[in-house]
Amino acid sequence: MDTAGSQIILSIRDVTKSFPGVRALNGVSIDVRRGMVHGVVGENGAGKSTLMKILSGVYKKDTGTIVFDGKTIDHTTPYESMHRGLAIIYQELNLVNSMSVGENIFLGRFKEMKGMRGTHAKARELLDSIGCKVSTTKLVSELSVSTKQMVEISKALSFQSKLIIMDEPSTSLTGEEMSLLVKIIHQLKAQGISIIYISHKLEEIFDFCDVVTVMRDGNVIDTKPRGEFTRDELITKMVGRTIENEYPERSRQVGETLMEVKGINTRKLHDVSFTLRKGEILGLVGLVGAGRTETVRAIFGADRVRGHKVTIGGKPVTIHNPKQAKDAGLGLIPEDRKLQGLVLPFSVEQNISMASIDRFTRFGFLIKSLEKGIGARHVKSLGIKTPNTKVAIKNLSGGNQQKCIVGRWMEIGPSIFIMDEPTKGIDVGAKYEIYLLMKEIAEKGGAVILISSELPEVLNMSNRVLTIYDGRITGEFDPEHIPADVIMRAALGLGGAS
Amino acid sequence: MNNLYRLFTQQKAIVAIAVILLVMVAAGGDVSRIFFSSYNLLDMLNSSTILVILGLGVTLTVIAGGCDLSIGGILVVSGILSIQLQNFMPMPLALVLAVLFGTLVGFFNGFLVVQQKTEPFIITLGVGLLLTGVAQQLSDAHPVPANNPDFMNISNGYQFGDGQFTEGHFPGIPNLVIIMLICFVFFAWLIRYTSFGRNLYAIGGDYDVARYSGINVVANKWMTLVISGTMAALGGVLLSSKLNTGSAIYGDFTALVVNCGVVVGGTSFAGGVGGIWQSVLGLLLFGLLDNAMNVLNIPSWYQMMLKGTVIVAILWMDSYTQKRKRELV
Amino acid sequence: MNKVGFILKDYLVLLMILGLALVTAIIQPKFISPANLNNIMRQFGPLILVALGMTFVIVGGFIDLSVAGTINLVAVVTITLIDPLGQVGALIAGLVIGSICGAINAGLILTSGATTQAEALFITFGMSTVYSSLALIYSGGSTFHFWDLKEMPNMFEAIGAGSVGPLSVSFVIFLGALALLWIFHTKMAAGRAISLTGGNKTAARLSGVPIERSIVLIYTIAGFMAALGAIVLFSRVTTASPVIGAGFETNAILAVVVGGTTLKGGKGSVLRTVMGVLLVILLNNCLNLLGVSSYMQWAARGAILVFAIWLDNRKEVQGNQL
Repeated sequence: MDTAGSQIILSIRDVTKSFPGVRALNGVSIDVRRGMVHGVVGENGAGKSTLMKILSGVYKKDTGTIVFDGKTIDHTTPYESMHRGLAIIYQELNLVNSMSVGENIFLGRFKEMKGMRGTHAKARELLDSIGCKVSTTKLVSELSVSTKQMVEISKALSFQSKLIIMDEPSTSLTGEEMSLLVKIIHQLKAQGISIIYISHKLEEIFDFCDVVTVMRDGNVIDTKPRGEFTRDELITKMVGRTIENEYPERSRQVGETLMEVKGINTRKLHDVSFTLRKGEILGLVGLVGAGRTETVRAIFGADRVRGHKVTIGGKPVTIHNPKQAKDAGLGLIPEDRKLQGLVLPFSVEQNISMASIDRFTRFGFLIKSLEKGIGARHVKSLGIKTPNTKVAIKNLSGGNQQKCIVGRWMEIGPSIFIMDEPTKGIDVGAKYEIYLLMKEIAEKGGAVILISSELPEVLNMSNRVLTIYDGRITGEFDPEHIPADVIMRAALGLGGAS
Repeated sequence: MNNLYRLFTQQKAIVAIAVILLVMVAAGGDVSRIFFSSYNLLDMLNSSTILVILGLGVTLTVIAGGCDLSIGGILVVSGILSIQLQNFMPMPLALVLAVLFGTLVGFFNGFLVVQQKTEPFIITLGVGLLLTGVAQQLSDAHPVPANNPDFMNISNGYQFGDGQFTEGHFPGIPNLVIIMLICFVFFAWLIRYTSFGRNLYAIGGDYDVARYSGINVVANKWMTLVISGTMAALGGVLLSSKLNTGSAIYGDFTALVVNCGVVVGGTSFAGGVGGIWQSVLGLLLFGLLDNAMNVLNIPSWYQMMLKGTVIVAILWMDSYTQKRKRELV
Repeated sequence: MNKVGFILKDYLVLLMILGLALVTAIIQPKFISPANLNNIMRQFGPLILVALGMTFVIVGGFIDLSVAGTINLVAVVTITLIDPLGQVGALIAGLVIGSICGAINAGLILTSGATTQAEALFITFGMSTVYSSLALIYSGGSTFHFWDLKEMPNMFEAIGAGSVGPLSVSFVIFLGALALLWIFHTKMAAGRAISLTGGNKTAARLSGVPIERSIVLIYTIAGFMAALGAIVLFSRVTTASPVIGAGFETNAILAVVVGGTTLKGGKGSVLRTVMGVLLVILLNNCLNLLGVSSYMQWAARGAILVFAIWLDNRKEVQGNQL
């Protein structure tokens, strides 16, 4: 390797980690050199985040050795790793929203900073050093995602970090914000700081990473200097199979208009209107917080909305709560499975039957045999892996839990199925089955609204894509014919055909 | 409109205090004259002091994302102990032991809430119940009289004056007010200028982030309950001294009024926000309300109803504003 | 976690009941005398009724501290209505007032959007004060006796002291209420909706389960059962005072939690509450027989409540580690 000249700052050897039922890391070895930007790519579930959490001390590794800056690290805590000079910037940012920028940078170090004045003065210096102008007394809750990242980077610098791990930092950045981040990365590199840059966006990897490691299913597939990778090679190694069989063939039976939504206005949404056709999978693309989830929640009656109009099959419907949505033929797989989808202490059967209680109720009484049938039917048809239907749902894996929620709605047979991040945190096989289900619903004359943070998923599944930026619909695209970067530009609010 | 809404929701205490003052002005005549007399205002401040002292400790627990409903129980047991222990030992030692009792209960609360991670609202309610039983046992459900003038003087004495209200004569400042001011300054400093205080905001704001930042979350949060127990015991001792008796019945309402007062001020049960000033305002509101109702000669049962209604209205508002925030309409 | 440990934890209450009964019977043979057993059966009355109602509130993921106030109000209003409305009219009026108190609580919680137990705790405590003060204002602070009424209210006397065969009337009322509520909770759609609401409010709502209806139901049931408890209570002592319900809210919560219904909501049963109440009554009875002062009994109940909540929490922690 041509990078062999510089010194190794972090050496990971044969690290394994298992969670109940899943082997998340399978003998992973990576070397990171001083002053390099080391890209780590892989699909969701490849083990990137698990590895980083082990490095920072959130998880404990099962076996293997980690040597950082010449010292073997066996057991660590996030606090210790930060003090050693290993900082990590997570996707879900690690800041206290109700506190000021300055105090967040020096969280837990009030005494070292000699009080409030020292805290803010030192914070100012750090922010200035990366060209961030935000006031140190501003509350973090008032900042944009990009500024929050700057605060995190300043926090990392405050520990004299030798290695900064950035976990998918670009997910919620606009183009301009991204170029600022790249500038800072180059600046850090020049100071001899190493960076592990986790991403699944190949452009970024080829843009500024020096070395690239590809991970898949808990294994390191390859580590090479960027120049030695071709784009195709990287993709093949990432997915481990040809792209074609990752998604089923697009359904092509789009018919007449099924639902029409007009003028959704809330504090976050501005005049959102669109139509949905029979047999269609409609993708909503946008950054986290752009209004994707808010839009579907508004349609589903989960949040309060003023003066919008919804017609289904030509007839106007009133939806003020999820019950009315359900009666109008809508179904929802919520964004957060655990908090919004599952009733954890309850059984698989009761979780599946909970939307369709009316169907096994006679004169107010539950008919248990009918309920049992509903549970058993969906466990079978969806291939849910569970010892029996009376097991508490908390004992199932993420994919199987998600299938239970799908089954919950399949029993109702909604004509419009809203899926908000339906494949988040579930394994590849289960994902494909959920894709097939979506297609089946569409082909039976229903329609699906799909939200996903994984752009390829939306682009490959949808017949039509709407981009949302800052609470407004910024474009409508045919993903089969319009290149992904045009769609992404619209989703980033950079203008586009509409 | 929007500003008005914000004023009503964020500065509930100030709005409510303003309303009460306006009512008292509007009442006119003797009522206004008596209410706004220096004697009455000082008396009001004096009678709010114990609530404020309790509230200071509770504020810390609420900022750190917890709460303490056992303070009523601690208050009565410490109050009774401070008198009964004087039969066996010199007064200062008795008082110290009575206060230390609160520290001990606070430590136990901390064990249950922080170390064992039980729901603070219900478990501290249970501890309060337990202690009320203990207080009744100790006092045989009768008021326990104190017969030591020195003890009585602690809460009822005046500094810089003789406590006589006559024309053109400075009556001095009640001891209780001085003690409250000292505690207030100490807590205001603690929360604003020490790393302990700042850590509490981090813990209440985001427990995991605080933990990952190397803050000893368990020790710090535990400490808030120890402090709140200690302050409750101090309040109990001062109350016994003020009334010259200890009794198991004084604690009934206190825990709720104090926690409610803290919330009224703007320290939210959601944790991570609020402060000492805000709590003091919220607690003074209840002192003011009591006083105003007395001056207006409202019968005690109606006072009770009014106070209950105020508590419900305020907590209703607290929940409602949080709901509005969640809904983002 | 081994199986024995689980059984021990799940049936700890039952074991405690048996152990306590055994120890008391040995120390104080009077315990198993027919008179004392009859006494225990009679004590089952008011507390169990209130606790059965409280079970629904806790299963639904909330809490209700207002039942003491409701009992105070219902007791004084019902007894004073016997003369003008007749006994049946007064009984119905009492039950309606209790239900309205519960519905008001539900209304406050719904309109404020309170979703946590803590919020419900404070709001219902405030309402308890309001109901209690209304009872005081209405009664003028005085206590009403059966013998002050125009004629002896024989129906209420029967509720308080009558028997049906070997069982006391209040025990029969309890059995009836238990059967109805058990069927409602386990066999009916509305009962399931309450459990789901307690298990995860957000998930239940997003699945179209009417959680608003659940909230109204749980508080109305709690109010109704508190009223029923109040009626049995004042019938037994033939006297209604405006502070008659003091302590009932904590005792009822104690019984529910001791029985093993979790405070986290979702899981629980009225049958468990019966065990919980049995334990609380036995404990009082034992402590009485053993000559422990009533104040110390209060403290003992507090201690058991703290212990039961702690145990409930431990169970939850270990359950999650599975």
